[in-house]
Amino acid sequence: MSVLAIGLMYGGATLAAMLAGIPIAFALGFVALAFMYAFMPAASLDTVTQNVYEEMSSITLLSIPLFILKGAAIGRSKAGQDLYTAMHAWMSRIPGGLGIANVFACALFAAMAGSSPATCSAIGSAGIPEMRKRGYSPGFAAGIIAAGGTLGILLPPSITMILYAVAAEQSLGRLFLAGVGPGLLLVALFAAWSVHNYRREYAAAKDVYERTGRTSTILKGDAFTMRERFSTLPRVLPFVVLLTGVMVALYGGYATPSETAGLGGLLALALIAMIYKAWKPKDIDPILTATLRESTMLMLIIGMSLLYAYVMSYLHISQSAAAGIVALGLSPWLLLLTVLLLVVGLGFFLPPVSIILMTAPIILPPLKAAGFDLVWFGVVMTITMEMGLIHPPVGLNIFVIKNIAPDIPLRDIIWGTLPFVILMAVAILILCLVPGVAMWLPDLLLPTTR
Amino acid sequence: MTQGFDAATASAENVRAPEPRVPGPLGVVDRAMNGLNHVILVLGGIALVVACGVLSYSVLSRHVWNEATDWQDETAVFLIVGATFLSAAGVQARRGHVAIEAVSGLLPERANRARLLVADVISLAFVAFFAWKSWMLLHEAWVDGQTSQSTWGPPLWIPYSLMAVGMSLLTFQFVLQILEAVIYGPKLAGWGAQKIGMGADLTKNLPADDARPVPADTRP
Amino acid sequence: ATTLKLSHQFPGGTIDQGDFRDRMCRKFAEAMKSKTNGEIEVQVYPGSSLMKTNAQFGAMRKGALDMSLYPAPYAGGEVPEMNIGLMPALVTSYEHAIAWKSGEVGRKLTEVLQAKGIVLVSWVWQTGGVASRGKPLVSPDDAKGMKVRGGSREMDLMLKQAGAATLSIPSNESYAAMQTGACDAVITSSTSLISFRLEELAKHLTSGRERSYWFMLEPIMMSKSIFDSLPKDQQDAIMQTGAELEPFGQQGAKEDDLNVERIFSKAGAQVESMDEATLDKWRDIAKATAWADYGAKSETCAELLRLAEKVA
Ligand code: NA
Ligand code: NA
Repeated sequence: MSVLAIGLMYGGATLAAMLAGIPIAFALGFVALAFMYAFMPAASLDTVTQNVYEEMSSITLLSIPLFILKGAAIGRSKAGQDLYTAMHAWMSRIPGGLGIANVFACALFAAMAGSSPATCSAIGSAGIPEMRKRGYSPGFAAGIIAAGGTLGILLPPSITMILYAVAAEQSLGRLFLAGVGPGLLLVALFAAWSVHNYRREYAAAKDVYERTGRTSTILKGDAFTMRERFSTLPRVLPFVVLLTGVMVALYGGYATPSETAGLGGLLALALIAMIYKAWKPKDIDPILTATLRESTMLMLIIGMSLLYAYVMSYLHISQSAAAGIVALGLSPWLLLLTVLLLVVGLGFFLPPVSIILMTAPIILPPLKAAGFDLVWFGVVMTITMEMGLIHPPVGLNIFVIKNIAPDIPLRDIIWGTLPFVILMAVAILILCLVPGVAMWLPDLLLPTTR
Repeated sequence: MTQGFDAATASAENVRAPEPRVPGPLGVVDRAMNGLNHVILVLGGIALVVACGVLSYSVLSRHVWNEATDWQDETAVFLIVGATFLSAAGVQARRGHVAIEAVSGLLPERANRARLLVADVISLAFVAFFAWKSWMLLHEAWVDGQTSQSTWGPPLWIPYSLMAVGMSLLTFQFVLQILEAVIYGPKLAGWGAQKIGMGADLTKNLPADDARPVPADTRP
Repeated sequence: ATTLKLSHQFPGGTIDQGDFRDRMCRKFAEAMKSKTNGEIEVQVYPGSSLMKTNAQFGAMRKGALDMSLYPAPYAGGEVPEMNIGLMPALVTSYEHAIAWKSGEVGRKLTEVLQAKGIVLVSWVWQTGGVASRGKPLVSPDDAKGMKVRGGSREMDLMLKQAGAATLSIPSNESYAAMQTGACDAVITSSTSLISFRLEELAKHLTSGRERSYWFMLEPIMMSKSIFDSLPKDQQDAIMQTGAELEPFGQQGAKEDDLNVERIFSKAGAQVESMDEATLDKWRDIAKATAWADYGAKSETCAELLRLAEKVA
């Protein structure tokens, strides 16, 4: 049977298994085993477990649960809320400041946690009710949190980037740094949109007031005294210390990336124990069990995705697909566009972890051959996958929002996130035109000609 | 990422209805398994914290005492791998392994139940095979005295046994859930609570913890 | 026609360009094709694109992978005897290394591997060097207080005895680790020193071109069960091709020893070499640490060590 035929069958079987509702990890594993049995030497079945263990037992990959722990410690204590309150107090003077406060709070949390929905739920659970109380439209409130959440995997640390670094064999240190510039760019774009939207909603409310006399809470300003503002600082400061401490450990040459994960997890737990007195079993238990649930689910998907990719490679599917892409002879930018569309398409039925591990052997060789910097592409791919998470029809961050605020109609959420999807596309365009937005920082701090 | 299905699990804890009680001898086994899963989750959580401690110690020992760091990474690997595999059953007990729920809203009730049963049976087949091969791997490593290829060189039966036990527990969990589904109906098998999925929010605008309609004939 | 999958962990290129280990595999494929009139097709999988390095050895033993160009010490966890393939200061020159195959130690190693389900097809040896950032690492006295990535248990044992703090980091983090200062020196093969681009950071290179305590065996291996399943003429073709390619491998290794010196000095690094007296010092330490540790592992290990010492 030809490689093409086997490849199509492999893809078809995967799609069927996924749509049947088999958990992703087991669906990938099952399809891989079935094709192993059908097309590979019988002995292959005996190597499955060792293969999966060898793939998973890398300390870089296994730092993922530790980054999740750090995020859970902060997100599930009152820290997330405090962070939000502080931002709110300091931004309230600016028109539309509440929206900016949400973006900033997301960014700060993102700099401590590695996943996007974790950021969404940590800031959104305080931010969405607050914005709605202040008269912001529910759709906008949902949109800004869904979009702000995506900063979670763009600003370091990032689970997606850890996987990408492993799959693309790029330095994780450089990749993390390359996310900073684009992350800040998105913060600026989101904040600008927030101000713009505030003005629009404010003008509309004012118009209604002038015509009908009906007032809206958006017309009332917030009043925080300086005293109130400064009183929020001590609670935020420790986390800024944690954030910078971990960065210094990593980029100052004290710790490897995985050691940083351990250090961050421990420090986060210590901080919430000291500041929020969260040290009793009843405080820690939910943090630990939630971390473990998420980690286990994720690590099994990662392990089985790697098994799946191994079968794909053994059957020469990945290599043939990569060669096929090269043979198309696309110009670099068309190639990039094609690859990104492929990523978006896969995002409809695969989680980003699997997308990275399964497509890396197919898309990275052609991109490399076309002269793209793989660290730069890692950032672009991250933003693209994040777009998939907040745009209709299937967006996981949307789902997270739905859990925080079940009464906001899905239609409003989707319309609210749409402008942010466009802003992210703009960011990708800027990254293509000015690669330095991503590469300036890694080139400054960890230069290489690799 | 699979994106913070952490948030999904998080919210599930908030809105989750109390677990329906499985009757009969199966119920005794079910509750025993739940108890075991909880103990494992707690121990696994502790293992993660210990792993953090070990890696932090690695930084200290290298910079403060200028010592070699050769056992730290691998100890952390064993702790995290162990926590991952051992808690797989506990995650499955709550249907926490993410699946795509794109077609659940399109199928008639009966077909949907059949689909879920088939999905569980296929998952069972896979995890049972994996568990079996893990035991074989463990056996080989034990007989050959295989060690990890690092300076520290700890024996590989340690992580392999954690993987074998974890996948066996997961197999058992699936058997339990399939039996519950066949004997007592979908809700008791956790299907009613299967809220995670990329299409789950769109198929029906139902509360997130109960995305699928539960058939009327669900016996208590 | 039979298809054989030949895997390795090194960067992929073409038959004429790139990492010599990858080129050697591609030459093997080409030679097999012409020698067997296309009856055997060898597919080369570079860069661990087929499976993780550590999994390759086990897969070959079970017959799930046909062939691999595989660093012997990586198999040390499964077959402890294989650690002799990177025993510090046991082999100190290419002449010395090449003498192994026909010597008693070579026969014994072949025998040990056969019993574990592996056929040694082509012997490749490679020396390596030390890239360091702050100060050179030539003699044992230099090692004191340095943070070094030794890369194997035996190297680490020797280095620790000399006073270094060894650390284990994934190879693709070597560059970043040296850049940030998490590690001061990296010891690896000349070819890997080049592909890691450590010359951009390192101020010193201790070259292994003349003599070194770092010599690694990285042969082309084959699954014995697969080998045994082939007809006699094809088996002969494989072994013959393997032997014919050995000079190419040695040549490639030696060229990289020159290349690494050239690249480092061009980048402004100081290139040092080791004299006989310094090497003796390292050997004394290695004997007391790595060799003793290895010899105590099993009777076979002890015997291999004895036989290897006889080669000179
Ligand atoms: Na982050
Ligand atoms: Na370490």
